[in-house]
Amino acid sequence: MTSAETSPEKSVNMSNMRDLEIAAKVNANKVTARNVDVYYGATHAIKNVSVDIYDKAVTAFIGPSGCGKSTFLRCINRMNDTINICKVSGKIEIEGEDIYDRRVDPVQLRAKVGMVFQKPNPFPKSIYDNVAYGPKIHGLSQNKTELDEIVETALKKAALWNEVKDRLAGPGTGLSGGQQQRLCIARAIATQPEVLLMDEPCSALDPIATAQVEELIDELRSQFSVVIVTHSMQQAARVSQRTAMFHLGELVEIDVTETMFTNPSHKKTQDYITGRYG
Amino acid sequence: MNDRNHTVTAYDEELGFLSNRIAEMGGYAERMVDRAVTALINSDHALSKQVIAEDALMDNWHREIDDKSVLIIAKRQPMARDLREIIGTMRIASDLERIGDLGKNIAKRTVAVAEVKQPLRLYRGLESLAELAMIQLKEVLDTFATRRMDGIELLRDRDEEIDAKYTSLFRELLTYMMEDPRNISACTHLLFCAKNIERIGDHVTNIAETIHYMETGEGLANERPKDDKHNAITVSKA
Repeated sequence: MTSAETSPEKSVNMSNMRDLEIAAKVNANKVTARNVDVYYGATHAIKNVSVDIYDKAVTAFIGPSGCGKSTFLRCINRMNDTINICKVSGKIEIEGEDIYDRRVDPVQLRAKVGMVFQKPNPFPKSIYDNVAYGPKIHGLSQNKTELDEIVETALKKAALWNEVKDRLAGPGTGLSGGQQQRLCIARAIATQPEVLLMDEPCSALDPIATAQVEELIDELRSQFSVVIVTHSMQQAARVSQRTAMFHLGELVEIDVTETMFTNPSHKKTQDYITGRYG
Repeated sequence: MNDRNHTVTAYDEELGFLSNRIAEMGGYAERMVDRAVTALINSDHALSKQVIAEDALMDNWHREIDDKSVLIIAKRQPMARDLREIIGTMRIASDLERIGDLGKNIAKRTVAVAEVKQPLRLYRGLESLAELAMIQLKEVLDTFATRRMDGIELLRDRDEEIDAKYTSLFRELLTYMMEDPRNISACTHLLFCAKNIERIGDHVTNIAETIHYMETGEGLANERPKDDKHNAITVSKA
């Protein structure tokens, strides 16, 4: 595939118009990736991916297992730095700032780019401490009252406050799976990030907890740029405004979600979303 | 359709069932309209009764397609082309069911029209209008089977011919009625039959548009010009 084909630029058509509408509403690209390549040792995991991720919109990454969608997601907050054999090249900017610049502190970056994982992974601490941990280490509060406020706001945004306000000292691991995942979301948004990365956040949850998290994602969209990796096509169709399809490390296409699921331009996308892959 | 099969083979079978059923309904609708017009022209009561009875099967098939489609949507959550295929199938089934109804309506008038033996010239226009509609119906069903989009706009635009023919038939029947008031009863029934055939043309157009949507994901461009001007015809102008 040539870089022209993978470029987010497309000729003007109906879906392109819709895309421009979304772009106009959100005003800006939050994340701009250009010619990103990722290698795990000799394995070329991401091949020349260029993509724009809009602010205040949900972008879904779909594609078969091993297509590189999670790897690319992890590039956005430099989680791949923790893997020794992993090498990233190309450029990823968040609001014009190159996140791979030597002067950027990955820890600070990760406060700005929160992440929620597939399995809920609360710290073995109290519910309160789970949420307060990030703001504490980043020095976001001057005193206990301020910290209390941050915790309450984050838990409210994560739609968990009413369920846990009377047991904040109880262990985070004592919550149900869906509550634990919302606790992790509360933890991720407590540091007031600009981008929220979600790697299959609902795959370990039951349908009700999934619906609650999806509702939450829809609400978070008004404040953050959300990127979600999901294996559920229906979930991508429900929660996102734009969808990107990955295949064997390449970005096949990115388009308005409605178009991607009713009339995608690429055969690979068509085959994948209709269950004809493989 | 699609050169690649679903990983779940039962899904392919379910979609295959829908398109086979549409082909069957299409063939049946063609036969119903053809036989209804034949019954009308030949005053063949036995044949008209058969056509009326056949409509029940069309209704059943239509319901069956609706039920199966809803089930597939619930079970498989179809996407992209599959989704368009299913939605399109439901639309086409209801157009074909309506065509069957229109055939039945024509058959129902056989008795009334044949009360008094009518001169053959009264039927000529109707016969050629029906021929046009039948050609259109056959072609749209062929297009459904082959999914070749090259003739589809032409097919849709040819509905104008039916509309123009209908308008001229309207005029003609009006003239017969003015010539001899004893023609009024039969001609009125024939007018309704002509209207039914003209409506078949409209359903064919709908089906053509649906097939285009199923194939391309887009509607056919531009609303076609309407050539059905009978609503402006008065006795003085006839």
